Amino acid sequence: MPITYDMMKRATAQLYEWSLRKVPDDTLEALRRARETETNEVARRTLGILLRSAEMAETQDRLVCSDSGVPNFVIGIGTGVRLEGDIKRAVSDGFDELVATTNPPLLKHVTNPLTNERSYRGKEMPLVTWDLIDGAEHVDITCQPKALGSGRWAAMEIFTFPTLEQIERYVMDCVLKAGSQHCPPVNIGVGIGGTFDYCAKLAARATLRPYGTTNPEPILAAMEERLLKAVNATGFGPMGTGGDTTALGVHVEYAAGHGFTPVAVAFNCWINRRTRARLYGDGRLERVE
Amino acid sequence: MEEEIRRLRMPLSAEDALSLRAGDMVLLDGEITITAGLPTHHRIIEVAEGRREAPRDLHGGGLFHLGSYSRETAEGGFEVLYMNPTTSTRFNGLMPGLIRHFGLRAVGGKGGLDAGCVEAMREVGCVYLSFVGGGAPLLSDAIRAVVSVDWNDLVSHYRLVTLRVEALGPVTVGIDAHGNSLYGSLSETAAARMPRIMDDLARARAQDGAEEVT
Ligand code: SF4
Repeated sequence: MPITYDMMKRATAQLYEWSLRKVPDDTLEALRRARETETNEVARRTLGILLRSAEMAETQDRLVCSDSGVPNFVIGIGTGVRLEGDIKRAVSDGFDELVATTNPPLLKHVTNPLTNERSYRGKEMPLVTWDLIDGAEHVDITCQPKALGSGRWAAMEIFTFPTLEQIERYVMDCVLKAGSQHCPPVNIGVGIGGTFDYCAKLAARATLRPYGTTNPEPILAAMEERLLKAVNATGFGPMGTGGDTTALGVHVEYAAGHGFTPVAVAFNCWINRRTRARLYGDGRLERVE
Repeated sequence: MEEEIRRLRMPLSAEDALSLRAGDMVLLDGEITITAGLPTHHRIIEVAEGRREAPRDLHGGGLFHLGSYSRETAEGGFEVLYMNPTTSTRFNGLMPGLIRHFGLRAVGGKGGLDAGCVEAMREVGCVYLSFVGGGAPLLSDAIRAVVSVDWNDLVSHYRLVTLRVEALGPVTVGIDAHGNSLYGSLSETAAARMPRIMDDLARARAQDGAEEVT
C-alpha cells in the first residue's frame, strides 16, 4: 500500500507535537546520572529543576519550553516504499495543521531574515533534509525543532589537512564562545570532512544520536570521550551558572573529503528535542523515540 | 529533601537587592514585568527618552527576558498560557541604559549579561536572575494573575506583560549588585583552564594512540 499525502501530513504534525512535550528518555537518564555525580550544589539543584520540568511536561501534557522553535525534519524514504500525492507539500501542510489545531497555541517563531518579521510560515519552511534508505519499506521521520539554544551557537571552519589537535581545539573554541548561553547541559554534534554543506549536515546528524552511543570508528569513539571530559572541565555547568555538567554527550560524525576539511560544531540545548517515528504503507506510525 | 529557599517580594526593595549574592537561589512573589522582544526594548528606550508614552511605570521594578503566550479572554481581559526565559545577551547593548534610567532592581532571563551591564547594575543596585530554559510548566504554574498586557500589536512573546506571581522559580542570582557575575567569572575560569584542558587532550590522544605527543 502506498504512503499517501494524508498519512505524511498527519505523521509530521504528530511528530512535532510529540517533540514539544517529551524530553527523550536517553536524555532524562543522562540528566539523572549527571545529578548523581555533579559536585556543585547549585548545579545539582538546577538539574533537579530541569528534570521536574520535563516530568511535568510529560505527565501533564504541556510544552517543555515556550520556544517551540521552527520546524526541522530529516526524512528518509525507504526504497521499497510507494508514494502517492504531494509528499513535500504534506510536510508544510502538516505544520499548518498543527499550528491551527494544537493546544496551547504555539508562539510565532518562523522569522523572515530580511525583515525580522515573525509568523508561522516562511520561505522553505519547514526545513527538510530528504534522504533514502535502501531496502526499507517505511519512511523514517525525525523531527528536531530548532530554537536559539539548538541553532544559534553552531559554527564551522574549513581547515587544510588538520591534525586531531586542531580539530579538538576548534571544538573547544566553539564551546567557550557559546559559554552559558545555550541552556546547558547540551548535546554536542561535530562533523568532520565532506564539503561545506555536507559537513554541516554531519554535525546536525550527530546531534540526533542518543546519549550512550559511540561512533564505530575507534579514532572518533576515543575523540568523543576525550572531548566530553574536556568540555565538562570548562565549568559552565547546567544553565551556565557553574558546575561539572556542561555537556551530556559529544557525538562526532565524519565523511571523506578532499584535503580541505570542514569542521562543524552544533549544539542541542538540554531538552534535546528530537522525535523519530516510522511510517508504514498500512498507515501505522511507529514511534521510535 | 531540599533546604528552605529564600522568598523575595517583587519589586525588590533596595535592601533585598543588595543582600543577594551571585549563586543564591531564591523564589519570587509579587509583580514582575516580562518581554522577549527587541522591538519592545526599542519602545522602552523611546519611553525613557520621552518619545513615547509609558504603558506602565517601570521605575524600580523587575524587568525580565521571558516570553509568554497571552490572549484575550471573553471578558475582555488577558490570560497568559505559558512563559519561559529567552537569551538575555542579545539585549546587552540596550540594558545598561534601561537599568540606569529606570533604576531597575532586578533583570533576568537566561545566559546572563555582559560587563557593561554588570557595571550599570552595580551602580544602580540591581541583580540578574537566571530562570531555567525549558522550564515552561514550572514557571507558568507560578502565575497568579495577569496585571496588564501592553503593546499587543506585537507578536505575543514581544508584548510587555506584567504578572503577579507566587513562588516563581527557583531562580539563581547570576549577577549580583556588587559587580559579581557568575557568567563573567565562569568565562574567565574556562579561558584560564584552556591550556590545561588542551594539555590533557594531548595526553589522552597519546594514550589513545591517536597521535604522538610532540
Ligand atoms: S535553548 Fe532550548 S531549552 Fe533553552 S529556551 Fe531555547 S529551546 Fe528552550
